[in-house]
Amino acid sequence: MMKKFTLIMVALIVFGGVYGLQTAAAEPVADFVNQALPFEDLEIVGYFKNATALETSGFDELLKFQNIADFKANYRFTDQVELFTEIKLWYDAVYDMEGQYRDLVNKEKNRKLSLPVKTEWIRQAYLDIYTDRLDIRAGKQQVVWGTTDGVRILDMVNPLDYREWTLGDFPEMRIPLWMINLEGEIATNSHVQVLLIPDYQPNYYAPAGSPYALRTVVSGAEAAAQPFVTVTTIDEKPEHTFENMKFGIRWRNVIEGGILTGLEYTLNYLHTYDFASSAYTRTEVNINPFGPPDIQVKLTRRAEQIEVLGCSFSKSITEGILGDFGKGWTLRGEFAHVGNGAMNYGTDNNIVGTVDVDQFNYAFGFDKVFLTDLQFSLQFIQMIASKREDFDQSQYTLLFGPTRGPLDKIENIITLMLSKDFMHERLKPQVLIIYTDDNDWRISPAVSFELNDQWMFETGLHIFEGRPQHLNGQFDKVDQIYFESTYSW
Amino acid sequence: MKKMIVLILVTAVFGFVWGGDLAQSAELKYYQVYAPESGMTAEEIMRVVYHNKYSLFAHDYDLPDSEVLYVDPSGLVRKKLAKRYRRVEGGVNNLQYKDLVVVTYPSSVKGLAILTWTFENPERDQDVWLWIPSIKKVRKISASEDDDAFMGSDLTVEEVSTRRFEDETYRLIGEEDFEGYTLEETGEEKFSGRPCFVIEAAPVKPHWYYAKRTVWVDKEFGGIIFEKYFDKNDNLFKTIFREWDWYTADDLKYPTQVTIEGKDLRTGHRTVVFNKNQKYDKGLDESMFTLRTLERSKW
Repeated sequence: MMKKFTLIMVALIVFGGVYGLQTAAAEPVADFVNQALPFEDLEIVGYFKNATALETSGFDELLKFQNIADFKANYRFTDQVELFTEIKLWYDAVYDMEGQYRDLVNKEKNRKLSLPVKTEWIRQAYLDIYTDRLDIRAGKQQVVWGTTDGVRILDMVNPLDYREWTLGDFPEMRIPLWMINLEGEIATNSHVQVLLIPDYQPNYYAPAGSPYALRTVVSGAEAAAQPFVTVTTIDEKPEHTFENMKFGIRWRNVIEGGILTGLEYTLNYLHTYDFASSAYTRTEVNINPFGPPDIQVKLTRRAEQIEVLGCSFSKSITEGILGDFGKGWTLRGEFAHVGNGAMNYGTDNNIVGTVDVDQFNYAFGFDKVFLTDLQFSLQFIQMIASKREDFDQSQYTLLFGPTRGPLDKIENIITLMLSKDFMHERLKPQVLIIYTDDNDWRISPAVSFELNDQWMFETGLHIFEGRPQHLNGQFDKVDQIYFESTYSW
Repeated sequence: MKKMIVLILVTAVFGFVWGGDLAQSAELKYYQVYAPESGMTAEEIMRVVYHNKYSLFAHDYDLPDSEVLYVDPSGLVRKKLAKRYRRVEGGVNNLQYKDLVVVTYPSSVKGLAILTWTFENPERDQDVWLWIPSIKKVRKISASEDDDAFMGSDLTVEEVSTRRFEDETYRLIGEEDFEGYTLEETGEEKFSGRPCFVIEAAPVKPHWYYAKRTVWVDKEFGGIIFEKYFDKNDNLFKTIFREWDWYTADDLKYPTQVTIEGKDLRTGHRTVVFNKNQKYDKGLDESMFTLRTLERSKW
């Protein structure tokens, strides 16, 4: 406890000291960088950040103590050719500080909880080539489809890092992939985007023992730790070959002219692999009449090849219907059919088998600014799973991937975001509420304060409620309060 | 009898021609520069003002350096830098103009880009898209309420970009030489002695954030150089000064805003905007004002 307190105080003192410098000199880091830069066409920005989270039940358990240094550099060769790189270095000291996580750090494969491993520190690195009719972006990047916030319907191009579940910003959670991104102009406001993605990475899930390990991960680890049980895990990932290349195409049009002026819509197709591997298990029990049984479990985690076909739209009501009714609202929506996927079935927390499944997911969003700067954003999401193979439904149900809990054929999610600003946008409170079926919900209030052009502070809460079988309820005992301080230059 | 008929016919023809001229003068033409003249009504002067405010005399507008300072009464100064581009559509597809703003500083919001389509119909809100760097996505957003602060400044959305001629009624108070304005940011006195029309404007909307404003319209530039905002108790609560200059490159002579200083007298906070190196009629392509441009942003 004393060690934690000391570390927090050190962090505050360091940042306070930097702030003291800040009030004396306008932008010491930016000034230094600008003087050191050898090239006029090279632009560098970055930030240093500390993110600290405490578990709220006793306020004596750190969930995160992460220090981040992020650098973005853009070099302009010509007006048509630019090279962009983002490097992110970070260290989460909580796995050294908190005794209950020490085992995770000692195991090499879990090192990535504390530090970026391999080339993770290169967040983005791509070459941009612009022509009149075609933009080419080649390299490590994120591509974001869809209109929905916080839930992935069409946003399926990049995998996600779920080490903190979905508490972080999606751009920080998305795992960049090496790809070629082509965007061609067919006509003004009509564009075709083609993605060629040779790279593949699965979603990253925090291992059992870490604060936000999924229930399914914890269950698997507990099962493997049972006496007389040996679990062999086989990861079947697509090889990096031309035949396994992922491919995406998007048509986007913004209507200009007529009553639908301003309507933006897309048609999307993605041929890819599911980033959430399907689990296939086979158990062999060898009875030993003279000793304990030998239980062999073979767990195959397979990335299924899936086809995503969908569309999205967004439209602001700029003219009222029958007077001013409806004026000022923005409506948005997206739909996706995910074919050739797979899901487990069984009983709660008990996988019996795996079946082929198609999913139909869709979302509608409604946004408006009320009163003075009060931003209102409501989303309704439905996810419908349709099995393509039979199993005994009198005994079993489809299981929800993150929790191994029973999955309803139709799952409903409602999200509400309210935000406002004060003090000329320096002070911004907001609250996010996510409610899913079966009284499962999360509420995340937060407030950020911009001290000056360089310093930003944020604090907030993440409160989970529900049963362990459900999306948010699985983290019911890990409510947190967090503090973030960021210095940008 | 014959004389009566001739008189009626002549009157009818005269009325037709004169009425036609009136109808013509009610709508100013795109891509033409206008200046207010003595003898014009308050409405005619304000039509010229809005024509010039939104640069409807030009085909396009390129502002590579816009600096916005937020000055707190405590002395804290925050800054935003942005680039702005505009293409005047001239009524094609009922569009008045398309506008693109890209924020370049501070780094926390670097890359934030706003694409706006503004329509000829004054009843129709703008269509607005936002590239938000923190979510790496283009979002269609609702038009802010017109009385909301524009990007946290002391200027409202209406004062910056959405107020139209039809939003107010006008009364010509008179003509006078402007007394001058001292920019707090630089200490310079500006526009002392410039001949102006003085007009009182009242919003059509009831219970609006101001009850009336008095504006000084520079006779040469055809733009508002000073505004005073009054609440329903006739208390002065805000002033806005706008400095104009002539853009005179390439045989063009266009009035252009170079400085804006808005002061909220209730809080003591002020916003100062410096616009530099603006250019007009550079042939900005319409493909620049598309979502593809927004998605080029990498920050």
